Amino acid sequence: MASTGNTGGPNNRVTAMLLLPTTLWFFLLLVMPLVVIAVYSLGERAPAGGYQPALTLAQYGNLLARLKAFTNTLTLAPLGTVLCLLIAYPLAYYLAVKAGRGAKPFLLTLVIIPFWTSFLIRTYAWIYILGGRGIPRLLEMIGIEDVRLIYTPTAVLIGIVYGYLPLMVLPIYVSLEKLDKSLLEAASDLGASPIRTFFQVTLPLSAPGLVTGSLLVFILLMGEYLIPALLGGGKVFFVGNALVDLFLQSRNWPFGSAVAIALVGIMLAAVALYLTLVGRDRDRQNVSVL
Amino acid sequence: MVETINGTVDVEFHGVTKRYGDILAVDDMDLEVSSGSFVSLLGPSGCGKTTSLRLIAGFEQPNAGDVRIGGASVVGVPPHKRPVNMVFQNYSLFPHFTVAENIGFGLRQLKPRPSKTEITARVGEMLELVRLQGFEKRRTWELSGGQQQRVALARALINRPTVLLLDEPLAALDRKLRQDMQIELQTLQRDVGITFVLVTHDQEEALSMSDTIYLMDEGRIIQMGGARDLYDEPINRYVADFVGKSNFFDGEIAEADTSGAVIRLASGRVLRGRNPRGVESLNRNAAGVIAIRPELIHIEKANGSASLTTDVETTARIKNRIFLGDQTEYLVEAEGFGNILVLASKHAESVSGGFSPGDFVNVGWKESSALALEDTSKGGRPTAVPVPKIG
Amino acid sequence: MPKKIDDNAPISAKKFMDELRRYERGSVSRRHFLGVTGLGMATSVMAGAVPMLAGSRGANAGSIGDRVSMATWPNYFDTANFETFKKDTGADVQVSVFGSNEEMLAKLQAGGTGWDVFVPTNYTISTYVELDLIEPLDLSRLPNFVEKHYIKRFIDPGTVNGKVYAVPKNWGTTGFVLNRKKVKSNPTTWKEFWDLSRTSATGRVMVHDYQLTTIGNALKYFGHSFNSVDPKELADAEKLLLDVKPHLFAINSDYQPGMRSGDAWMSIAWTGDGLQLHRDIPEIDYVLGKEGGELWSDFYAIPKGAPHLDAAYAFINFLIDPEINAKEVHAHGYPVPDARTTALLPKEMTQDPIMYPAKDLLDALEFGAAVTLTDPLRAEIMARFKAA
Ligand SMILES: Nc1ncnc2c1ncn2[C@@H]1O[C@H](COP(=O)(O)OP(=O)(O)O)[C@@H](O)[C@H]1O
Ligand SMILES: [Mg+2]
Repeated sequence: MASTGNTGGPNNRVTAMLLLPTTLWFFLLLVMPLVVIAVYSLGERAPAGGYQPALTLAQYGNLLARLKAFTNTLTLAPLGTVLCLLIAYPLAYYLAVKAGRGAKPFLLTLVIIPFWTSFLIRTYAWIYILGGRGIPRLLEMIGIEDVRLIYTPTAVLIGIVYGYLPLMVLPIYVSLEKLDKSLLEAASDLGASPIRTFFQVTLPLSAPGLVTGSLLVFILLMGEYLIPALLGGGKVFFVGNALVDLFLQSRNWPFGSAVAIALVGIMLAAVALYLTLVGRDRDRQNVSVL
Repeated sequence: MVETINGTVDVEFHGVTKRYGDILAVDDMDLEVSSGSFVSLLGPSGCGKTTSLRLIAGFEQPNAGDVRIGGASVVGVPPHKRPVNMVFQNYSLFPHFTVAENIGFGLRQLKPRPSKTEITARVGEMLELVRLQGFEKRRTWELSGGQQQRVALARALINRPTVLLLDEPLAALDRKLRQDMQIELQTLQRDVGITFVLVTHDQEEALSMSDTIYLMDEGRIIQMGGARDLYDEPINRYVADFVGKSNFFDGEIAEADTSGAVIRLASGRVLRGRNPRGVESLNRNAAGVIAIRPELIHIEKANGSASLTTDVETTARIKNRIFLGDQTEYLVEAEGFGNILVLASKHAESVSGGFSPGDFVNVGWKESSALALEDTSKGGRPTAVPVPKIG
Repeated sequence: MPKKIDDNAPISAKKFMDELRRYERGSVSRRHFLGVTGLGMATSVMAGAVPMLAGSRGANAGSIGDRVSMATWPNYFDTANFETFKKDTGADVQVSVFGSNEEMLAKLQAGGTGWDVFVPTNYTISTYVELDLIEPLDLSRLPNFVEKHYIKRFIDPGTVNGKVYAVPKNWGTTGFVLNRKKVKSNPTTWKEFWDLSRTSATGRVMVHDYQLTTIGNALKYFGHSFNSVDPKELADAEKLLLDVKPHLFAINSDYQPGMRSGDAWMSIAWTGDGLQLHRDIPEIDYVLGKEGGELWSDFYAIPKGAPHLDAAYAFINFLIDPEINAKEVHAHGYPVPDARTTALLPKEMTQDPIMYPAKDLLDALEFGAAVTLTDPLRAEIMARFKAA
């Protein structure tokens, strides 16, 4: 950080100066808003909505009123992460290990292409795909009647997997791409079947990508509101949706801030727990997370 | 096992060909590695050594021909079902395992899996074998190159393979360590009694370690034999050039029979040499070359009188002198011959007192020291040599 | 045997593009798409998105400034009129579309909107006055506003403490749409609406993601006022809503896609959406509950601190010009409380029962009350209903 500049060397001063914008940025973009929200969370809702200063923990006491949003988020975000992982891994594996040199750039582009359009529009498209005239109608044609997809938790999960898959595929792809393929040959040479090679070598060595992808997806999912709003039909309620409601509808800023702080807290705890679990293993591998 | 006159054969190639697209990496290759021997595949980079090794290990399948291990064809058998293990060029140690876990990897794949105590015991034995006791818990990236290599060796040996394959195992080590490891590998091979097939582009390494050397070029075997065979009886210029240093005097084959040939140099000078192939004579009028090892050339002060010990002699001027410690290398220029490389032993130097650039000297050699060879570099591909049974 | 593919088959490419374009125009439903997504805060600048708005400058460019910025509801304007305004005055019209009054208020409370004109609903205006967020209007600068031509009850909410803060834009009702092919009975009341949603139409009914209408119409089930903030009455409404919730298709104010696809059979709806759905799919009807429900009117108003005050007056005056206003109505399908404008509308419109419901149905309706906008209990009940 910039404060190390006081040891005097011109290099230190230059470093400090170079770091200054980053430090300011970090402070302005990350720390300040969090402080503001923390202060708001101790206040009271003004009669017509908004914030009025106070020093009370009442908002936190009220958190249980959004318990369902928290439990929804804490079930669907990990579930979505795991689903993404299960689908992304074989995909990334194919891209990194199996795909031919010619096909690889093309396939990678296909993974990235969705990013070229707005996430909103893409998710909106799913309303039609999952709606009565989309997949359910196709299923009807092959004799599977009365499938309801849109505005269900399943629809939300589909939307999540669709939206977040690239974020999971890319880091895993990178770690698999970096993986020294001769290690796989070594394992095979030493008598490991392809499946055992996968579980003993490929999987543990692609753990960094796996951890990065999972963290990325999990953290973003914890704050997700668009997919549940559009594909959950307001029935599948995330903390993100509770926040949108609190800030934009009931304008209960202090309660909204308390919910936001609680979410950040839970997220940090979850990430810390995850990293500790992963870290035990990672320690054995000297592979960095990010 | 296949019984031959000389014992069992562990690895055989019969007309093995491997193509990568247009590249012919291994070209109709025959090979026979007898049990318990230390065999080297020697040749310049890109000549197909690694590919040959990978064909044995099972990472590649031949386009044509048959690969046999212990007498049974292994074409189509995946690597994990072959009784061979490999020491990879970059060692390919698993970074997420400790030294002990790396070494025990092969044991853990066995069905049924040995007990923990047995694995620990066997790993301990291997550690002892490669002198790495106490390194069990270490991370492989904490080890030096030589130590890593020993881990790779132990890992590959723990399942007692029929054949151990080594792909340029010493290439990454520095010179001193390389020499130590050469000896260590030889000792190890004798101790464990496992057949070693080593790939190297370093002729010195091949000569010093192996019982049998296969010298390769462009996917084919040019000559096989012991170190002495290749060094003393190279069958063509390529071999004489690749194995050790040689002086070459180019010319045309003037006379030839099975025992030798006479070659007329461009200068008009006529030189006689031995025919190391012995059975067939060289083609008359074809391009030929006289090859003489520098250490077989006698060098003495130009005193006018011819030496009793040489058949061919000429005066020359010292152009350059390199002190090598145990010997001294002179580059001399002789009329009608061009540059000649001469290696004088310490003993010879102590007798002659040594020479300096500019000195005039007599150089000469015995005709029995000179080899008359086909010059394949001017005449297309070398004639394939039928693989003799290993003696 | 595979069924024959018919018109109701999975959405075609063309249909999808149409829907997408509707979305891009911000016209998916009257107000709530962006509210649902929470993106109302993210201003979409229509002038930038609609290329024709970036046309050449008018002859008298510069007299009122080069732009005017308006916050309104999706599908609630005629962009051709904006073009005309630009030609006449040289001012670009920039539009932000919003999802709910609550959201509009939230944005104004947060400050720094840059809006010159906004479109509040009747029941919110007194709150804006209370919070000092709205500019009193100088009617001398709005010559097109001639009080005597307007229906009185649609003017009144714009006047607070004797001062005029807003002039009427459109009015409308909140009823429900139903698909007659799917719903076999003939519901005419909110009681039937809620009961059907728990029985034969289970899984097929949508309610707004909007406390005013969803709680209001749940209150109607018990015969309470649409605007009640009485905790006991609200407890009744909450109980009903929680009971209905598992049977709902969705809580979403963007109900047109669901109704159009046939997934939803009934939904709480506003006039304009009812009109649009009925026009495209005749079996979809728009029904006003006999017990009553919401009657509403929207207004043009100027927020405190509007950066282009002259342009704001000019723009409002332009939009309430009967000729222009009639074009607006053609575009969005909401009735106008101005007799001069209504006179310019074709018979099909003025006699349309969705736009102009029968008097007895209208008489039962109530305006939304200001207190509902800020009442914490209603907001909290809505949130609990959604989070349940
Ligand atoms: N996987 C491969 N794909 C294409 N060409 C290859 C491949 N492996 C080796 N080759 C080619 O085959 C030839 C022999 O290679 P290699 O066996 O690795 O030689 P060496 O080990 O003797 O250096 C070279 O020309 C090399 O470029
Ligand atoms: Mg090689």
